[in-house]
Amino acid sequence: MTIARAATLPRGALVARAWAGLGDAVAPLSNAAGRPLTRTVKLILDPLVLRPVLNPEFAAGAIAAAHADALTSRIADAGPVLAATASWFVVLKKERRRRWITEGNPQDLYFQRCFELATGHGEPGPDAAAVAATVLEEVHGREGPTVAALRDFVTDPANVDGLTRLLDTAWADRVAPAPGPVATSSFLATCAVTPDREAFRALVTGLAGSAGAVDLDLPGVARAHGLTDRDRPVRPGLGRGASKANLPKPFDRSILERLFAPLTNAFQRAGLADVPTLVRREIARSAGPWQLADEESRLVVVLGRDASASLAGDAPVGGPGSAAARLRSRWEREAYVHRVLRMPSAVPPEVRADVRGVREAYLRRLWVRVHGRELRHDTVTADQVWDVLDGVLRSVILDQRDRLRSVLEREAVA
Amino acid sequence: MRVTRGADIVVGDWPSSPEVVALLEGAGASLAWDVLTDAAVPAARVHDPVRASEWLWEVYGDAADAILGGAEEVDVPVVDSPIRDACRRVAQLTWARAWWPASVTAGVPALDPVVLNAELAVAVSTVEHLLDDPEAVERALAVVSPPLSQPGLAEQVAALAEDYGVELAPAEAPTRSGFALAAGGGDGVSGVAALSGSSSVDWSLVPHGVVDAAAPARWAVVRRQGRTALEVSVVPGPTPLARLAARFGEVEVALDGRDAAGRITGSAPVSAAVLLLPPDRRVLTVYAPDFAEPTPPDPAAEARRAAIVSYARSRLDSPTATVTERTAR
Repeated sequence: MTIARAATLPRGALVARAWAGLGDAVAPLSNAAGRPLTRTVKLILDPLVLRPVLNPEFAAGAIAAAHADALTSRIADAGPVLAATASWFVVLKKERRRRWITEGNPQDLYFQRCFELATGHGEPGPDAAAVAATVLEEVHGREGPTVAALRDFVTDPANVDGLTRLLDTAWADRVAPAPGPVATSSFLATCAVTPDREAFRALVTGLAGSAGAVDLDLPGVARAHGLTDRDRPVRPGLGRGASKANLPKPFDRSILERLFAPLTNAFQRAGLADVPTLVRREIARSAGPWQLADEESRLVVVLGRDASASLAGDAPVGGPGSAAARLRSRWEREAYVHRVLRMPSAVPPEVRADVRGVREAYLRRLWVRVHGRELRHDTVTADQVWDVLDGVLRSVILDQRDRLRSVLEREAVA
Repeated sequence: MRVTRGADIVVGDWPSSPEVVALLEGAGASLAWDVLTDAAVPAARVHDPVRASEWLWEVYGDAADAILGGAEEVDVPVVDSPIRDACRRVAQLTWARAWWPASVTAGVPALDPVVLNAELAVAVSTVEHLLDDPEAVERALAVVSPPLSQPGLAEQVAALAEDYGVELAPAEAPTRSGFALAAGGGDGVSGVAALSGSSSVDWSLVPHGVVDAAAPARWAVVRRQGRTALEVSVVPGPTPLARLAARFGEVEVALDGRDAAGRITGSAPVSAAVLLLPPDRRVLTVYAPDFAEPTPPDPAAEARRAAIVSYARSRLDSPTATVTERTAR
């Protein structure tokens, strides 16, 4: 890897400098060190100010010196809007506190709303409290689909027969996906740094994701993927209830259980379809390859399967810098971090399955993530694949750490 | 500082033994301070140069360019860097949570886990923009359990919890029962000790806080009423509630008793042949069976542990120490 050093500057440094120039006005969007919050970058600066999708010269990493001034002045120009965004955030937080709202992360829920308000209204005026109240009602209101509405709908005797017939038909009409080439290795070789959008599109149009599901109905295959406890996947039920702590494996979840988690999260709930639509789509989805609806999502699962193949094995698959090599390096790093954090080396029985079955846990979490994105129509793009593949492993690993720690603490309190 | 390039780029001397490492997991690179050398500038291990380039300049200044650009040696000016200091605070508290050597016998008081978790959440929030885990603040807040008696800290944590939408759950913190009991006392052995000795406890074989970090585990081969038994005792730490066992040669002893002085004890019948073991095999290894398998001791570890104990003692009134360290009781 060669980066022409003298000719580039780290984007983080340029953003930090430009951000510092905005002063205290943006403090509500900054951390204690005065840098923009992670979510300020992710939800405001990237998608609304720098927009690297349209301006590839502003993408994360090294910025060519020629574009450095353009980047900093873009942030400086957005100064008034960003300052107003920060003021709106303070107003919304205050109103949230007044109403005893505790649901969701305010940064996730309000940052983009605040930017919209700042763009439309400028700084908060005398009517700020009323505007804030309206926004909070929209965000937290009963408008979106709720778990209660979902449960009522799928258990309503008036619906049960029709929905069950729909499920039966969808599963009876299932067509085995056509076998085909699933050549993921060239995309995976570079997706972390220079994702090949053409290759991704070719895999999507070639139905590689569906083709990768061809064996799932063979005995034991879906189970080896960690997606079911059964020998083969069976038609899901509609379901009557769900509990977050006790969800079965993805293919063993009822229709209600599949929709349950996304509906309990305020940030994810925004923008979901109405309950009847969600349920009908979920029924159709459950009969598709990988029990997913979009070819992109299916492909991401296949990419994750291939990239995670060497997590637990002996020989790494894929060359240096490939997604497989990077995932494996994260996993190997974790063994070291465990020693440094004085985590158990003899694994307690409660979490043994996770550690031994890291790949299964990985595929499970990946399925849940792409499923959630399907519901929000937030299809994974070629550029986002690596973040998804890496983020899923990180989250599996960190949850494992939390679980180990709580086992230790439980022992200490017991 | 030296820069070596293999699968990762390594800056400086990465500390080798886990118990001295104060670690920070940044995006694309990890930082490590060796608590015993206490240098201002950390060692780094860069595994994703693109992600790391976003923030490495905050820690290494202009040298970050050269580190990522192929230099074999870089000069890192030691200038004031609030971000580096904040990274250090996160790393220091992470270290303390794992390795703080609470010991009645050595005069190192236990840390208050409530203060530690709160201070860690605040420190994490200061550098959240460069951490590997995008949800690090929420994760850190999830284990904070008020009430907090430090006024400044309590307010900072409350504000953070509000900013991140986390409801702080008052929870039962691990108790410190039994910690004061075990100071001093006799050798706890009745009967005729035919042979006795002691070995220091390998910290990595027991969870944090279970045994006194400085007191050695004692063993004695005792003849009583015509039988031979191996008796073992170890001084408990502030949270002495994990199941312990000891291994001596081939002999396995469950440590499931308490003596009058509060020590954790165990005893197992042995054949008199144990007396014939050569001295180098008379080594007692204390371990927590649910936590680690016994491993042969590292000969350098005992001196390192002693050094860490005196380092911890020096932190109690050090102005650069964390609140957590300074409020240890």
